[in-house]
Amino acid sequence: MKQDNHSLSHKKFLKKYKINQVLIFVAQLFLLIFILAGWELLTKYEIIDAFIFSSPSRIIKTIGTLYNSGDLFYHIQTTLLEALIGFLLATFLGILFAVVLWWNNALKKITDPYLVVLNSLPKIALGPILIVWFGANTNAIIAMAVLIVIIITILNMLNAYLLTDNDKILLLKSMGASKWQILTKLILPGAMPKFVNTLKINVGLTWVGVIMGEYLVSRAGLGYLIIYGGQVFKLDLVMTSTVILCSLAGLMYGLVGLIEKKLVKHY
Amino acid sequence: MAILKLQNVSLTYHSLLGETTALKNISFSVDEGEFIGIVGPSGCGKTTILSLISGLLKPSSGSILIDEEPVVKTSDKTGYMFQKDHLFEWRNIINNILLGLEIKKQKNGRIFAEELINKYGLTDFKKHYPSELSGGMRQRVALIRTLTLNPKILLLDEPFSALDYQTRLEVCDDVSNIIKQEKKTTILVTHDIAEAISLSDRILILSARPAVIKKIITVPFSKEKTLLKKREHKDFRVLFENIYQELKNEAR
Repeated sequence: MKQDNHSLSHKKFLKKYKINQVLIFVAQLFLLIFILAGWELLTKYEIIDAFIFSSPSRIIKTIGTLYNSGDLFYHIQTTLLEALIGFLLATFLGILFAVVLWWNNALKKITDPYLVVLNSLPKIALGPILIVWFGANTNAIIAMAVLIVIIITILNMLNAYLLTDNDKILLLKSMGASKWQILTKLILPGAMPKFVNTLKINVGLTWVGVIMGEYLVSRAGLGYLIIYGGQVFKLDLVMTSTVILCSLAGLMYGLVGLIEKKLVKHY
Repeated sequence: MAILKLQNVSLTYHSLLGETTALKNISFSVDEGEFIGIVGPSGCGKTTILSLISGLLKPSSGSILIDEEPVVKTSDKTGYMFQKDHLFEWRNIINNILLGLEIKKQKNGRIFAEELINKYGLTDFKKHYPSELSGGMRQRVALIRTLTLNPKILLLDEPFSALDYQTRLEVCDDVSNIIKQEKKTTILVTHDIAEAISLSDRILILSARPAVIKKIITVPFSKEKTLLKKREHKDFRVLFENIYQELKNEAR
């Protein structure tokens, strides 16, 4: 309910709420500054070894070096592209499979044990197979990301579809709805909150898949930089890539958050 | 003139636990414009009767005729209203009401829908979402959604039982007024005896499973104008007691 002429006590309540929000944000900001400053100072006064722990200033310097050599965006682009393709492909295919399994009950029952086993299998174990099948290239990395994301997408979305209120289905049937109409008018829009949830989970899992894939095969990308940095003991490079990875993952998550606001306004 | 006829309808369904006969030799007929209440012990198959009439289920034996035509699948002739309103939260009110037309791909029903919306005071809520409406208002929207397809027979499956007592009385009045104004033949399943008496012209009492019709009672004061008058009628208590005893015997 919208109301413009608030009472005094309500104004106070609103003000208190706003102040609280600001305080939380400030605290979050301070925590970040505290960590960065602490890290910097500890390395500066050599309480911890900057060669092993790196430091904010060394990270910024490394970013500068990477930028000047033109490597920065090359590696970011490589990884980001893999992540985006993996994310979209896995989400799309996962939902497609979930819909097919919802549609065909027999198929659902037949495939059930296979999905359970695939879900509990650590996908990294399939790494060598993926390399042999797809080659030691980007395709294998995307395949790894898809493999990790798709199973949980299928299970999550199928579960959401099956939880649809049976009376709602009967209501549509009593109106003479076809199975396709039940799917498009009820099952899919009804599972929208779960869909957005799945997107959020998928963002995280996609990054796991992509970085793992890059550990295995790549010659470029942030995962490659991390592995390479570790092997030649350039911890600055490892930390820098990790920080960039954090920002990218955060950004993608934020994007999903925006989509959520649009899609699940009325649920 | 009977609009609906059930002749020796039986229904048996199968589960891993065995065979269950839900209904046995159910026969009755309903005249056009009549309001029929069905009461019975819980789990006796009241809802099953509505599912059969709507064509959602097929009887194991016997026949169901609407306008002398056998029911073989769901059709426009019946409109089903459930215990919960089942409005789709992601659609605004007007789009919820137009759901049936959308399913049937009927473009020309829109004018009739708008008429109903205006007539029953939903104009201002057209763009609202279900979560912004009260329970009583939501049930009214559900009724208008059902009426939009212009069914000959309304099937109400305990449509008030999910509401709190106060709202329940209000919505009961509301729905009964709208149904009367639209002159719909109605079959109401309920476990609330008072509700059945105050709404119905005749009441069917079912036995415990396998359900047979135990008794059909005509409500003598069903022509009274308002529900309140019916509830205050001197014979109300007697009738209530009668039905209550019948059901009590069944429960044992």
